[in-house]
Amino acid sequence: MTEALQSLFWIIVFPGFLFTVAFGLFASWIVRKVSALVQWRVGPPLFQPFYDVVKLMGKEILVPQEAQQAVFMAAPLVGMAGVLLLSTMLWRITIAQTAFVGDIIVAIYLMVLPSLALILGSSASASPHASVGTSREMKLVMSYELPLVLAFIVVIIKTGGQLNLAAIAQQVPALSISGMLAFLVALLCVQAKLGFVPFDIAEAETEVASGVLIEYSGALLAVWKLMQAMMLVALPLFLVMVFLGGFGASLWTGLGKYVLILVLVILIKNTNPRMRIDQAMKFFWFYCGLALAIAVTLAIIGNYCGINWL
Amino acid sequence: MDKILLIPVFLPLIAGFVLLFLPNKIKLLSRALTLVISVVTFALAIRIFTLGQSNYAWSVLEIGNLKFDLLLSAMPLGAFILMFAMGFGLLITLYSLKSIGPSAKRVNEYYGSVLLTIGGSAGILLSNHLLFLLIFWEIVTVSLYLLITTGGKNSNFAATKSFAMIGASDAALLLGILMVWVLSGTFVISDISLATASTLPIIAFLLLMTAAITKAGAMPLHTWLPTSGEYAPASVMALLPAAIDKLLGIYLLVIIVRQMFVFKSVVLSLVLAIIGAATIIIAVMIAMVQHNLKKLLSYHAISQVGYMVLGIATGTPVGIAGGVFHMLNHAVYKCCLFLCGGSVEQAAGTAELDKLGGLGKKMPITFAACLIAALSISGIPPFNGFVSKWMVYQGVIQMGTAQTGGAAKLWPIWLTCAMFGSALTLASFVKLIHSIFLSRLPDELKDVKEVSLPMKVPMVVLALLCVFFGVFYHVPLKLFIYPALNIEPGTAIFGTWDSTLATALIIIGIGLGLLILLVGLLARKVRTVPTWTCGEAQTNEQMIIPGTHFYKTVSSMGGLKQLYTGQEKGHFDLYNQSGKCGLGLTNFLKWLHSGLLPMYLTWVTLGLLVILFIVCGIW
Repeated sequence: MTEALQSLFWIIVFPGFLFTVAFGLFASWIVRKVSALVQWRVGPPLFQPFYDVVKLMGKEILVPQEAQQAVFMAAPLVGMAGVLLLSTMLWRITIAQTAFVGDIIVAIYLMVLPSLALILGSSASASPHASVGTSREMKLVMSYELPLVLAFIVVIIKTGGQLNLAAIAQQVPALSISGMLAFLVALLCVQAKLGFVPFDIAEAETEVASGVLIEYSGALLAVWKLMQAMMLVALPLFLVMVFLGGFGASLWTGLGKYVLILVLVILIKNTNPRMRIDQAMKFFWFYCGLALAIAVTLAIIGNYCGINWL
Repeated sequence: MDKILLIPVFLPLIAGFVLLFLPNKIKLLSRALTLVISVVTFALAIRIFTLGQSNYAWSVLEIGNLKFDLLLSAMPLGAFILMFAMGFGLLITLYSLKSIGPSAKRVNEYYGSVLLTIGGSAGILLSNHLLFLLIFWEIVTVSLYLLITTGGKNSNFAATKSFAMIGASDAALLLGILMVWVLSGTFVISDISLATASTLPIIAFLLLMTAAITKAGAMPLHTWLPTSGEYAPASVMALLPAAIDKLLGIYLLVIIVRQMFVFKSVVLSLVLAIIGAATIIIAVMIAMVQHNLKKLLSYHAISQVGYMVLGIATGTPVGIAGGVFHMLNHAVYKCCLFLCGGSVEQAAGTAELDKLGGLGKKMPITFAACLIAALSISGIPPFNGFVSKWMVYQGVIQMGTAQTGGAAKLWPIWLTCAMFGSALTLASFVKLIHSIFLSRLPDELKDVKEVSLPMKVPMVVLALLCVFFGVFYHVPLKLFIYPALNIEPGTAIFGTWDSTLATALIIIGIGLGLLILLVGLLARKVRTVPTWTCGEAQTNEQMIIPGTHFYKTVSSMGGLKQLYTGQEKGHFDLYNQSGKCGLGLTNFLKWLHSGLLPMYLTWVTLGLLVILFIVCGIW
């Protein structure tokens, strides 16, 4: 019974819902503030993301007549639940240093859930714009999945076949050529997963009017926004754990690593124009794929010859 | 001496044989009989499974020291697969009651063949004698031919192609069995244990493997599957290629890998791994661009075999258990998908994805079942497909880190194919769900109605099984998979996946989301509005975007484009290519038989000369 209560506390309060949402809204404030600084603007106040969500909650929920309403309403909830689970799992593993819920393969698969929810929700909204968004989002998922798998393989080779995230977080694969390559490409994959420029192809306001999200409004849109804020917590944390050696001994180095990744993501976001979907596919499959094929080869060679820096 | 083993084999076989020759006017009898017999065999299969090991032997024929005994024995592996095969038989029979309606012409032939399939597969799974296994194997092949021909227009072509390809692989099986007999001196499966060190056992292994993977539908002998998928009734596809053929093919593969041969050869595991990985990735790439619902599902039925073969190829306990578990999971969700496809086809009158759309509102149960099965096949946690794929991945990783050998060294390739194939599967099913159930309803489909109860029940049962096997995956593993493969529970899996807790947490998360939604609903009312079209007046037809063109970006990508066109034209189809070779040969023979006397005389003289040379031994 106490265990169940404990899990309930973890998922609802810390490090689950309340904590992740607060942290995520703060992170999205950082994103907006740093973007503003890059663009020579002042930027929003600290609580702006929070105000946005609260304001959305008070707005009317519009549901398209032709939509598959059950799926339309359920999709954001499922997506948020998926990210919540991922975030809780990663934080629990970081704090307790033991296995919790799943291993690295599970984490990679849980990361698909928000995109899938987005796809189903937009597909259910019966809008042609959303359909275009659906197609683009799905193609984006399958483009970055290949380099992500290869980066995962590099990590597995570097950590000697470990699947447990707590054990992987003990080592720092990024301190080698192959690990660094894998880290950089995985960073781009995270960029695409977050739907940030240059990979905001599915939302593309100027082309398909927010594509996947076009028909969403009110509290449902608020849930999507919360989900995206929570992804800002979970995905960089995943990179920190897998490539940069986790939080290690002190909280501050861990947070420093997290902020480093966040800043890298923001800088990429602010210095690149949006890609077309076919460009993104080619980029991920051929260029990133090739880079990681080299990385995997290097990692294997390094593993056989005992050269750790390869 | 357990005579109970005889009933599930011979009762359906005899009844099916009788039904085949019953005039088609007596319709009710065949249905009632099939339903009763499938219930009985399912019940008996459960009984056999719970009985544990049991044997039955009946000496049929004895020539010299060559003994043909009907040896039936319920091994843990065979018994658990038997239970599921009979279960599928029952569900499909139930589904067919409505889907093969009274208007169908060859009802008795259909039900007779279903019974033959049930009996034949029971025979395969129970027989401990290779020759009887071969006979039952042939019965299943023939009944597949009969079942496909009930599909109406053009199904003869598909049936012939299937029969030719599976028949050819059955010839390999016959040859393989004879080689095994020569090598080991016995036909009794449990007595055989051949080392795969020299050439002959390896050839025997490859022959038996060919039969197994052709039945299961792995590359390169897979092309019968999509062709029959296009023309055969959906219930037939759900019964044989989706469920029972997979169970039988992988059963044979496991038997030869784990039982009949001592599987230590590096070359063989390399061959299996290549077949597995290539099947996964190539078939799913083709599936992505299909426009026909049933054909798309057929290509996935091929792709998923790759995971099973790859899992078995790893040779690690977790990999093999994962492969066998994937076989079971695949049978469950693919059967469900084909049944959903059949329901959609029956309700909407077409299986072309371009013409469908928005059916989720009209057919909620079918939609829910199809969505669950689609998420399962795409490996989305916490459904069952994820668990078995996850086990196969672990098997590959363990092979890579623990073993040395050709296949083990190349593990990154296998893992990439498997994991990336899973993402492509998701893409393919997003397209399917979008085109059929979401998107917008075309005007012609306004009057579509949900299918009737006997068709709903099997879909719902299978969808629930998908969820159950995913959330409580330890139950099927402990009950069926580990005992069947003689693996100590708790030693195989080395990853972490607390599925039950994860599901509970996801449900709590959804609850939290509902809370937010509730706050929003309390603040303002929900309003239903027409789709926003940026102010342009557009008709419904104009706003429909079918999913069939979702992946044009992939199929028109440089390099892949040529492969796709070649595939479309059948350049990579072994059936077409060997057909062309055969045609060339007959053309040559035709050319020889020109009817000109001087020509024949020349050949006769030349032949005589050759014979003379040989006889006299001039060289």
